[in-house]
Amino acid sequence: MFSPTPNESMFDRISIRYKLIVLLGLSAALALFISSAFTIYSTYLSESRSSLRVLHQLTDVISENMRAALAFSDADSARAMLASLHADPHILLAVVSDDAGRILAEYRSTALDAGREQVFKQVLRRHAGEDAGAPHGAAGVEERIGDGFMGVLHPIFFEGKPIGSLAIVSDTQLLWAKIREFVLMQLASSLLTLGLLLFFSLKLQALFTQPIMGLVNAMQAVARTKNYRAALASDRRDEFRSLYDGFNAMLAEIRERDDRLSRLATTDALTGLANRRQAMEIMQAMVTRAQRKGEPLGVIMLDIDFFKQVNDRYGHPVGDRVLQEIALVLQASAREYDLVARLGGEEFLVLCESGTQEATVAVAERIRQGVECRRIEHRPGGFLSVTVSLGVYFAVPQPAEARIESMIKAADEALFQAKEAGRNRYVVASTERA
Amino acid sequence: MRGVCVRVIVWMACLLSLLNAPAALAGDEERKLEAVFIGRFASYVEWPDRPRERFVITLLDDNPFGKLLDDLYLDKRIHNKPIELRYATRLDQVGETDVLFITLSRAAARAEAIDYAQRNGILTISEIKGFAESGGVIQLDFVEQKARIKINHAAALRSGLRIGAPLLSIATVLRGERP
Repeated sequence: MFSPTPNESMFDRISIRYKLIVLLGLSAALALFISSAFTIYSTYLSESRSSLRVLHQLTDVISENMRAALAFSDADSARAMLASLHADPHILLAVVSDDAGRILAEYRSTALDAGREQVFKQVLRRHAGEDAGAPHGAAGVEERIGDGFMGVLHPIFFEGKPIGSLAIVSDTQLLWAKIREFVLMQLASSLLTLGLLLFFSLKLQALFTQPIMGLVNAMQAVARTKNYRAALASDRRDEFRSLYDGFNAMLAEIRERDDRLSRLATTDALTGLANRRQAMEIMQAMVTRAQRKGEPLGVIMLDIDFFKQVNDRYGHPVGDRVLQEIALVLQASAREYDLVARLGGEEFLVLCESGTQEATVAVAERIRQGVECRRIEHRPGGFLSVTVSLGVYFAVPQPAEARIESMIKAADEALFQAKEAGRNRYVVASTERA
Repeated sequence: MRGVCVRVIVWMACLLSLLNAPAALAGDEERKLEAVFIGRFASYVEWPDRPRERFVITLLDDNPFGKLLDDLYLDKRIHNKPIELRYATRLDQVGETDVLFITLSRAAARAEAIDYAQRNGILTISEIKGFAESGGVIQLDFVEQKARIKINHAAALRSGLRIGAPLLSIATVLRGERP
């Protein structure tokens, strides 16, 4: 017995189509977020490198031009060269120092406040101190990106020896402007992609939900109509096909089980003939039909002669075999639309539709002869024969509550007479008795 | 009385020497820079091809550097050649040289030396005022401890020398020679 878990979440209560949309949306959002984060970080790295590369190029060019001025301690020329940096409003500070760390010339942007200037110069002095302690030629180009600034320290060599350095510090406004622009574009493209994905997921969710909803509807229809003979058709080739096949197989199993139960309830297990209850139900229907049509209904009651002796002599398995053989004879002798039933023990009933006297008597005689002639093998090479006595009654049924019972009773009395008359015969009951 | 006068004179001399001490210190610093600059000038100058194994710097007349040049250029190289320092008191002692640092005080002697240098493709350097105007190639002097470089470009070309643009860019360049 399946039942929903008591702690089911809200997600469990929403329909599959919305679950799909939510899952698709969340998956897409997560994928876009991770991809955007990596892309933005990668862009930040490449833009930082690019900005630093530009600063390196600027520093390289100025260092080359600055060499002579530094070599001859020409502060005026050095200042004149640095003054050209005002063309770039993002350059905050440029300092040319000799190999002892003494400043030869400097350029300071008006955008740079004194506090930050001191901070930058302290950093430069620290680097100059470190470089002074380094062996000749070991001092290389240094770069740094900090909070709102980036800087490059470029040593200047003369005849292979360091004679000073040039440091250029710029702000990071351009870098962050590019990053901001990229983030906005990334955000816009992510939102657009997410919107498109949601739109398509709305459209495409039917691919998944339609077969499921078809199955749900079919199950509800079966539950409502109890029509287990229904079958779901599907031309799909994916897992839904397996689901549909499974559902159809389950319906087929239910049908088979119902049929089996029905057979067990309506047939005699030994002979395969209709049992008493089934015989009574069918007889009621036949009586009703005969009444409606005004046609006669023939009733044949028959009993195996000396059946107890057969059981006593040959045993019950042979008795059962005899019953089965009699059933075969009855089915062979009766007409296609007649009913053959085992009422219990060795007693059988045959109902003949449109059973006129001639027709019913003909059936009874065919049965009698058929049984009489039947050789039943009770052991390999050993055969026995039995006979039956039959009571025949026919009449056009009249509307009366006890009509079925009275017709059977009349046939039964005729059977009794046949027994009394020496067995292996049929006796036709008087219609007046019924 | 005489002893008092001597003491006063001694004290005055001491005071004067103390007052002149910064200037003397500044002069030493400038002299060092001057010594360094001689080599650096050479780095920016190209000479006509000459099969010489050494780069020769010659001081003509007084040597204001003492042992400074020897200390500075010991085991150093210019244009990938080992440096040889020579000290000459007369022009006929100069011989083959690449740089001639002239301290001659007499204008006629300087002119003679300049003429010799131009004929022999020699870079002439001096700190004497008016040296560049009188045909010398590089004139170097210090004003308030700042180096001032004056280059007579025409004289350099006459000597067969090519002076690099970086050096020209920081120097006062004379394009024509005054008579």
